[in-house]
Amino acid sequence: MEQLKTIGRELAMGSQGGFGQSKEFLDLIKSIGETRSKNEEDRIVLREIETLKTRLANPNTPKFKLKEYLIRLLYVEMLGHDASFGYIYAVKMTHDENLLFKRTGYLAVTLFLNEDHDLIILIVNTIQKDLRSDNYLVVCAALNAVCRLINEETIPAVLPQVVELLGHQKEAVRKKAVMALHRFYQRAPGSVSHLISNFRKRLSDSDPGVMGATLCPLFDLITTDVNAYKDLVISFVNILKQVVERRLPKSFDYRQMPAPFIQIKLLKILGLLGNGDKKTSEHMYTIVGDIMRKIDSTSNIGNAVLYECICCISSIHPNPKLLEAAADAISKFLKSDSHNMKYLGIDALGRLTKISPEIAEQHQLAVIDCLEDPDDTLKRKTFELLYKMTKSSNVEVIVNRMIDYMININDNHYKTEIASRCVELAEQFAPSNQWFIQTMNKVFEHAGDLVNAKVAHNLMRLIAEGFGEDDDTADSQLRSSAVESYLHIIGEPKLPSAFLQVICWVLGEYGTADGKYSASYISGRLCDVAEAHSTDDIVKAYAVTALGKIYSFEIAAGRKAEVLPECESLIEELLASHSTDLQQRAYEVQAIVGIDAHAVENIMPMDASCEDIEIDKSLSFLDGYIQQAIEKGAQPYVPESERSGMSNISNFKSQEQHESLTHSLRFEAYELPKPSMAPHVPPVLASSTELVPVPDPYNHTEVHYSATPMPSVSNAGSSELKLRLDGVQKKWGRPSYSSPASSTSNNDAPKIQNGTTQRDSVGSANSKARDVSYESRKPQVGISPEKQKLAASLFGGASKSDRRQSSSSQKVPKNNSHSADKSHVEKTATSDTVAIKTSQPPQDLLDLGEPTGTSIPPSLDPFTQLEGLLDLTQDPTTLNTWWR
Amino acid sequence: MIRGVIVMNDRGKPRLVKFYEFQPAEKQQELIRSIYRVLCSRAENVSNFVKVDSLFGQDVRLVYKTFATLYFVFIFDSSENELAMLDLMQVFVEALDKVFSNVCELDVVFNFNKVHTILDEFILGGQVLETNSSEVVKTVEEISKMERAANSIKVVPSIPGWQGR
Repeated sequence: MEQLKTIGRELAMGSQGGFGQSKEFLDLIKSIGETRSKNEEDRIVLREIETLKTRLANPNTPKFKLKEYLIRLLYVEMLGHDASFGYIYAVKMTHDENLLFKRTGYLAVTLFLNEDHDLIILIVNTIQKDLRSDNYLVVCAALNAVCRLINEETIPAVLPQVVELLGHQKEAVRKKAVMALHRFYQRAPGSVSHLISNFRKRLSDSDPGVMGATLCPLFDLITTDVNAYKDLVISFVNILKQVVERRLPKSFDYRQMPAPFIQIKLLKILGLLGNGDKKTSEHMYTIVGDIMRKIDSTSNIGNAVLYECICCISSIHPNPKLLEAAADAISKFLKSDSHNMKYLGIDALGRLTKISPEIAEQHQLAVIDCLEDPDDTLKRKTFELLYKMTKSSNVEVIVNRMIDYMININDNHYKTEIASRCVELAEQFAPSNQWFIQTMNKVFEHAGDLVNAKVAHNLMRLIAEGFGEDDDTADSQLRSSAVESYLHIIGEPKLPSAFLQVICWVLGEYGTADGKYSASYISGRLCDVAEAHSTDDIVKAYAVTALGKIYSFEIAAGRKAEVLPECESLIEELLASHSTDLQQRAYEVQAIVGIDAHAVENIMPMDASCEDIEIDKSLSFLDGYIQQAIEKGAQPYVPESERSGMSNISNFKSQEQHESLTHSLRFEAYELPKPSMAPHVPPVLASSTELVPVPDPYNHTEVHYSATPMPSVSNAGSSELKLRLDGVQKKWGRPSYSSPASSTSNNDAPKIQNGTTQRDSVGSANSKARDVSYESRKPQVGISPEKQKLAASLFGGASKSDRRQSSSSQKVPKNNSHSADKSHVEKTATSDTVAIKTSQPPQDLLDLGEPTGTSIPPSLDPFTQLEGLLDLTQDPTTLNTWWR
Repeated sequence: MIRGVIVMNDRGKPRLVKFYEFQPAEKQQELIRSIYRVLCSRAENVSNFVKVDSLFGQDVRLVYKTFATLYFVFIFDSSENELAMLDLMQVFVEALDKVFSNVCELDVVFNFNKVHTILDEFILGGQVLETNSSEVVKTVEEISKMERAANSIKVVPSIPGWQGR
């Protein structure tokens, strides 16, 4: 691009009006350009806004002036100032007959308004008219506006015309109509679901541009439902073949490549269709191989296509030859000097390692170079790759690197992400307890307040449950080392709250468990924590409850609970706390100290935080009581859903919402709510009954409970023991954490105190990871020893088979670790759907009255299928223009 | 899907802002400022890609390139290819260059409505519609011609001086 021309040109243009704008606009832009401060700029802009306000409101302003004012208004809004006073003028201008003004009006409204703005309703009529215009440029302008401004409610108003335009004689219009329809689909899939066959039809449009445009909606559709489009594989492969063989008009070439953008879209689609489907994938091998062979990898766009080929290869059912070609391409990318290429290389490597892990090993040095590159984007991508290839043999190096990087960045979002990845990897592959605890300490120290509260809960649970297995000594070792390191770290200033919570909880549960530390020592440290963080109620709550545990374990062991004076005063202080939650806890501790060993053992069993809690959801233990009450003449309980009044209103509300979601404006009046005590479902429209949630009485109570954040219930009466403990439990788990079921818990009251209630099997996988021995390290030749070492530690055992998949497949998926097991779950899930889908004939095509040819199931002869595709166009001769 | 196109100068002044999902004005400003900060912190001779999931959500990336005094920025999600986006940007700039014959920042500033017209021919509703700059230039010229024609009929009589006599 040429240098910015000097002020001379600017002035010359200004005087000639060469930019098509007035001197005033020129002056405005110039003066804004010359401002030194934001204040100065604001002053100028505010003055401009005043000018525009009066001039736009003046009914005598000529139209061409109005147009300029609107453009100036757009400019003002782009600079971040409110221009809403002028929106109505933009709307007015769309009504103009003159194309220039109309287009300006459309431009202004598309930039000013969102699709839910009140003024849109004033434009819909104009859009309708313009869609019918003889002038295709007017139609195009209207279609542009449609893409931006039409929302779910207004779709029906323009839908018929947009569909009609799919058959317009100008390909520019057809293309835009396809896009508009796609937009409708994105906005409200339900509103156009009956028109989706149009996209298939347009795939065989006589104009390749329209075909190319159709690939966008098809890509989206295939992403959501692969199986419905398997029949198109042959057509896509054919189109791709024709593109590659340069059967498309020359105008589609770009940098001597035939329609590269269309190739990219097609490769993406093929990647989706071939994913996990051997049969489908086999159709693609030849063409993808051809593309890779023929590609000109000196141009940017050539590499873009090449990269897309690799993505496709790594997504479809693996083929050794293609994998080899992909590996070659990757090494070319990684060897390139361009950072863009390296970036793509690393990304591609990440995709391919899933299929053939040994590939990363070949490029270990390149990967390490990227890790040390000054380019942050590249670095992050490389960390992503490392994350994907972590296993027990290299977890230490990778996680340590990640933590080092995490400490040095300021971007909180990314810090959080890295922190949770570290945690996840450490949980899965930790080689030793000590290392695990140390790693967690580091993560919490530097990003404790950023990581999800779940991570802290997870850590607590992990320490409580150990790494699975029935190896109790290992578990208690883990706990001891945790306690040890926490006691060491606890005095440090500025520890994040989440970390302190974990520390307090662990000290409370296990501080005295191995007998190394006395109860009074631990309780003293806990008091220190509470005092040092006197503003943090949550930490104080954890600390005081931990105190309570220490005391009860002492009592249960037959010793006397020795309450230090400082603990005493802490409890005293909390008894009068403003926080009812803290008060409650303090009272509980006070009560525990006073009771006998047997009772304490029941209230606060040792190391029982992970025991299952049985929940009597139906509250059956109250049956007798209810029976009695009814016999005495009490009214039986009427579930909330069956009560009138309130519930009717809420049902109507949800019905209303539902309707606005699926449908446009409703013009008929709503039915009146029928007040009645009769126990039947409240009156709702038949059409939407199944979607109106019918509240279940028990669920209702649950919702109420879980909706209260950290409830601090304080009814201490012994008869209401159950309820009170609900509240206590909530304090441990954040509302999101504890399962709704547990909130109605009542039976195992004593155990609840210990906090974490959810149980899952983190253990088995971790224990596996822990057991794996270190791999022999491969020596490298001719490279700096430091890098060699790093490479060896990262990639050392890459060829070993203890890959992530293998370990993850053995464990029960747990809800809070993402990545590996998730993909595993997804895979099983998709294969399930495949099974379901194939068992029933594809219906959509038949329903839509398509020619039967297209609905032939994918298992049939490919040639028949091809014929089926060609059947789509009524006139096969039109195809010949470019198709064959 | 492409989430947005931003052209701004090397001092962070927006010259063209288009988001394909509506963003309220304040949010737009915030995004522009954050993106400018990111771009400024990038060294020379590094890749043209930046991950911006902290601004736009999961898996959203950004491709940028400087042309003279202007940053061109495309923001898009995983359904697009980074390198191809870079080329699309190139095509867009080529088209600008053809339409304005040697485009400079001032052309973009003073004619941002026309720049929008050009951009709309390339990208519609967040999807790439056309990738050939000559085709776009042809369409844009046609539009200009029609606009001029429409204008000469309508505007002339309304010049105040004429009507007065």
